[in-house]
Amino acid sequence: MKRERDNIDDDDDQRPPVGPNRTTFRISPESTCSNINNDSNHNPPIPPTTTININNNNNNVVSANANANKGTSISNSSNNSNNNNHNNKEQDRFLPIANVGRIMKKVIPGNGKISKDAKETVQECVSEFISFVTGEASDKCQREKRKTINGDDILWAIMTLGFEDYVNPLKLYLTKYREIEGEKLNVPKQQRVEQRLQHEQSSSVPYNSVYSTTNMMSQPSFVSNDPPFPLPFSQNSIQTTTTLPQQDHVDEHW
Amino acid sequence: MRQASAYSKMLSGGRSGPHALPLARIKKIMKNSSEDVKMISGEAPIVFSKACELFIEELTKRAWAMTLQGKRRTMQREDVASAVITTDIFDFLINLVSDSAHDHCPAQESLPVLEP
Repeated sequence: MKRERDNIDDDDDQRPPVGPNRTTFRISPESTCSNINNDSNHNPPIPPTTTININNNNNNVVSANANANKGTSISNSSNNSNNNNHNNKEQDRFLPIANVGRIMKKVIPGNGKISKDAKETVQECVSEFISFVTGEASDKCQREKRKTINGDDILWAIMTLGFEDYVNPLKLYLTKYREIEGEKLNVPKQQRVEQRLQHEQSSSVPYNSVYSTTNMMSQPSFVSNDPPFPLPFSQNSIQTTTTLPQQDHVDEHW
Repeated sequence: MRQASAYSKMLSGGRSGPHALPLARIKKIMKNSSEDVKMISGEAPIVFSKACELFIEELTKRAWAMTLQGKRRTMQREDVASAVITTDIFDFLINLVSDSAHDHCPAQESLPVLEP
C-alpha cells in the first residue's frame, strides 16, 4: 500500500513522475538533513548549511555527494528508483515498522492479528509522540538557556504532557543506563554495587505493572563481563552521577 | 553514529535489543521535529526508545479493546483511531489519525464518536 499522506510537504504528491535515472527527494523546510535536491527547477534551493545524510537500504547506493552542500544540483550519478525515494523519506520519518509491529504483538493475545494499516498508523503516532515530547523538552531547554536536550528534559516533558505513568519505569531505565556508563568511567566496583543496592531499595516501581514487562526489567544484573566498549557518547553530555542525592535533585524538579 | 547494538548487548547480558528501537532513527526524528533542536545528549534517544515502547504498548492495548468491541480478531486502523479519540493524553494525535482515515479511505464516513 502506497502511503500518500505527507504531513510535511503535500505539494509533492502532484509532482510529475521522474525517469529512472533521476533521483528526486522531497524537501522539507523543517528538515535540515536527509534531503538532496537534484531538480532545481521545481524545488527551492538547498541552504548551504544543509547536512546530507542519506539512508538507503537497497542495493543501489546513493553517494552522499558533497557538491550538494554548495547548493548545486546532483548529477545523474545518483541512480535510484522512485520507490526508493518514497521509502527513504518514510524511513527517515518513522521508526521501522517491524520493530513497531513486534512491540504491538507483545501486548495482544497470541491469536490476535494486526493489519498493516494499524501498524502504519501506530508508526506515525510514535513519530508524532517523539516530535511532541521533543518540542516540549526543547522549549524547556530554551527557557533555561541550555543547548543540549538531555534525558531529564525528556522525562520532564513526558510527565508534563500527561504520561505520568511512564515516568517511574523510565527513571529506572535511565538509572540503569547511567550505572553502565558509570562503569565505563572506572567507578570502583564496590561503589557501583552500593549504588545499585541503594537504587533498588529506594525505587518503588511496581514490577507487575503493565509497563514493566520488558527484558530490561527482568535482568538481575547489568554488570557486563565483556571488555569495555569504547564510549560512543560524548562524556560531557552525559550525566554520569548516579548517587542518590543526584536522584533527589532530579525529583525536586517534578 | 553510536552503535546501538553495543549497548543492547550490555544492557541485556548478550541478548539483542532492549533498545527495541533504533537510536539513530529516534535522533533523526527528534531533529526533524523543530529547527530549534540542535544538540541532543546521548541519553535522550535511550529514554525515548523506552518511552516509545511504553507508548506503543499503551496505544495498542487501547486499540485492541476497540477491536474486541467490534468482535473482531484483527486490529484495524479504525481501532487505533478510536483509541486515540477516546484517550485524553492522545489528543495530540487526533489530527493525525483523522487525516489518515480521510486520505486512505476517501469514501469512508468520518469516524464514529464512541462513548467515553
